[in-house]
Formats: sequence, C-alpha cells, structure tokens
Amino acid sequence: MELFGIFFSALLINNILLIRFLALCSFFGVSTKIDTAVGMSFAVVFVMTISSAVSWIIYHFILSPFHLEFLRTASFILTIAALVQLEELYLRKMIPALYRAMGIYLPLITTNCAILAVAFLAIDYRFGFLSAMVYSLGVSIGYSLAIVLFAYVRERLALAPIPKWFQGYPIAFITAALMSLAFLGFTGMFGL
Amino acid sequence: MDILLLSVIVLGGLGFIFAALLALAADYFRAAEDPRIVKILAILPGTNCGACGVAGCRAFAEKLAAAAGDVLVSGCVSGGVTVVQKLAELMGVAQPTDAHKKIAAVHCWAKVDQRQALARYSGVMTCQSANLVAGGGLMCRYGCLGYADCVLVCPFDAIKMEQGLPVVDPDRCTSCALCVAACPRQIIDIIPFTKRVIVACSSRDSGAVTRKNCPVGCIACKICEKEVPEIFKVIDNLARINYNKPGESGTECEVAINKCPTKCIVKL
Repeated sequence: MELFGIFFSALLINNILLIRFLALCSFFGVSTKIDTAVGMSFAVVFVMTISSAVSWIIYHFILSPFHLEFLRTASFILTIAALVQLEELYLRKMIPALYRAMGIYLPLITTNCAILAVAFLAIDYRFGFLSAMVYSLGVSIGYSLAIVLFAYVRERLALAPIPKWFQGYPIAFITAALMSLAFLGFTGMFGL
Repeated sequence: MDILLLSVIVLGGLGFIFAALLALAADYFRAAEDPRIVKILAILPGTNCGACGVAGCRAFAEKLAAAAGDVLVSGCVSGGVTVVQKLAELMGVAQPTDAHKKIAAVHCWAKVDQRQALARYSGVMTCQSANLVAGGGLMCRYGCLGYADCVLVCPFDAIKMEQGLPVVDPDRCTSCALCVAACPRQIIDIIPFTKRVIVACSSRDSGAVTRKNCPVGCIACKICEKEVPEIFKVIDNLARINYNKPGESGTECEVAINKCPTKCIVKL
C-alpha cells in the first residue's frame, strides 16, 4: 500500500512536469509531435529508473559511509552522464531498433534536470531501494503521461484557428498552465 | 583522513571507474558501422549547416551510406560542386549533371542613403523585429532593412554589410540558404552562378511608386524584356530572369544591363 501511494503520488499528485515544473525545456521542445513525445518518454522512463537506482547505490554505499554527502551533485552528474553513454553503447549493439526509436533523445536527457532531481528527491525522502525504484518509475511515467497528453493537445492546436499573436509558444504556455491547474485537482487523492 | 583528500579520492575514483567502464564498453559493444561513413564525413564540409535537410553532417553521412543514390550525392548543398564530385566518386554513382555553383543573391541594391524613410525605427536592431513594426520604417515595403540578420546567420562569413547593404562573397557562399530563411523581406534567394546577372530589386509596387521611393528600383519599364525577351520577363511590376535558359557568363544580358534606366539589373 505504501509503494502504491508513492507511485501515484509521483505520477499524478506531484507530477514532475505540471506540478513541480521541472524538465520544462523538453516539455515544450519535443511535444510538437506525438511521435517525438513518445520517443522522449521511453528514453526518460529508461534513463530515470536506471540512473536513480545507480545514484541511490552510490549515495548509500560510497558517499554516506565516508560522510561525503556534499559531493552528491557532482557525483550524480558524473554517474548520469556515464550511465547514459553506457546505455547508448549497449542499445546500439544489442537492441538497434530501440536505439533508433529513441534516437537523439537518449543523449539529450543526460542534461535533463528531472533525471538529477529524481535522484536527489529519492534520497531526500529517505526512501529505501525498492521505494526509490517505484518512485522514479512513477515520476517517469508521470512525465510520459503529461508530455504525451500535451503533444496530443498541441497537434490539435496546430490546426486550430488561433489568433496570430498566440500562435506557437504563447498558446502552448497557456495550454500548459491549464493542464497544470487540472492536475492540481489530484491533490488529496488517495488520502495523500 | 582529511576530508579534502577523501573527496578527491572518491570522486576521482568514481570518474576513473566510469571512464574504464566506458572504455571497455566502447570496445565490447562496438557496433558494426559502415566504413564509408567515416570517409563520407571526411569529404563533407563539416559545418553542420543543415541545408541538406538532416541534422548535421554525421546524419547526412549515415543517410548517404544507407541509401546510395545519386540524388543524395548532390544533397550536400553547402559543399558545392567539388564535394558532390568526390561523393559521387566514393559511392560509385554517376556524376549528377545539374551540378553547378549556386550562390545567394540579394535582390535589393539600394544603399542606406538611397532609401526613403517613412518613420524612424528605434526598436530591437534586427530585421525580424523591424519588419514587424509597420514594415520597418522604409517607404519601400520590399527593400532591404539593413539590420544584418543575414550576416549574423551566415556560418561561412560570406556576407558583409557595405553601406547598409548585405554583399555576398561568391567564393565563400555555399548556397546553404540560411540567409534566405533569415530575411523577413524575402529578398535573398539562391540562384545558379552561371549567368552572373541579377535583378537587384524586389519591389512589386507600380513603376511610379517605386520611382518615388528609390532611385535604383525596378520600375517595370519592360525595356529588358524587349531587348532580351528569352531571358527577361516582367511579372508583377518586377523584372525576372529565367536562369534555366542556356548561356554562360551572361554576355547575352549585356544589352539589358546597359539599357536598364535605373541600373537595377546588375552584374555580379
């Protein structure tokens, strides 16, 4: 039940894009088409889960015993960058279809702030390993949910008769704000 | 132990472990890659200008290696004729016949003191912004605004501003067309560099209006059309050149150049 709560709180109530406002650059950058949004989502789910697992291990088994918690920013960035490189190499050789599907998005999320934020938050919330995994899975699926929904809306907006001054990013920002308001409605769900 | 030393050791150790892992993985997971990609990449200009339609020279090389066809060989616009030749040689396809040098041409040669002001513009000093505000403060709705958006966007340093007017260096221009997209007035386009003649005006205003606004504008007098009818044609109050007609170095256009009353047909 506790894991269930962690998952849905990360997915909906504290949605990383629409409530926490992290990773907004990719939220606007790759949401013009559903295809790219889905590609980015897969890459984020993949990288976020693995990188938060590895950074959790590094924090609890290397940094904590030596009392070097203050090094976590530097070491997490190092970890995530190296990990994404490794994943890219692995996918290119082993699963070329997935590699092509993710394309440019895989290296792109090396610098995505949401990835680093989840690694931090999982530690700040004092999660155990399993909870941290469930949490990062929830966050990344929440990211996918928000960005894919947003991409659907933006595809419709591209054809809608919008006044010239609101076309493009202005209407996208307004849409994002409305979606964010809608997601506020999840607050208090499941008694959380 | 000293905390400073410890953090250096831990972070350095982490970095070393990751570096070693990556080095091993790069070797272990080495994907079989078309050896031609590296060769193609060496031929390409390496400017990542994007004029070929894909993101960067690397992506173009991969695309070309995957689908060898002579259409793709001529896909590298900014490389020019020499790159196309080398690529065709490497890929073993026939040399495309339509490979000749193209350059960007600026269809407005009104220098800054020849432009009639409608109002004084004092906003953000880019053509893009100036054009949004009532067309940039010039009497001529078509002419060059002179805030050098095209100069800034050119990755090859091929455009210089001279007396408020962009001047294209034909040797440096690779016809990547970034300036074409950057110009809000749409007075730059890509032309074949065979005739070396352009109409240096974009005004579709009637002759009387153009004459009032600009001393070097096309007034649609149709003299060029009468003199060299196979090449010149006046459409919408503006002389146009048919670059598809055969003829090298534009000698057949001399008459029109000399007879043009406002001298807006110019030799490059």
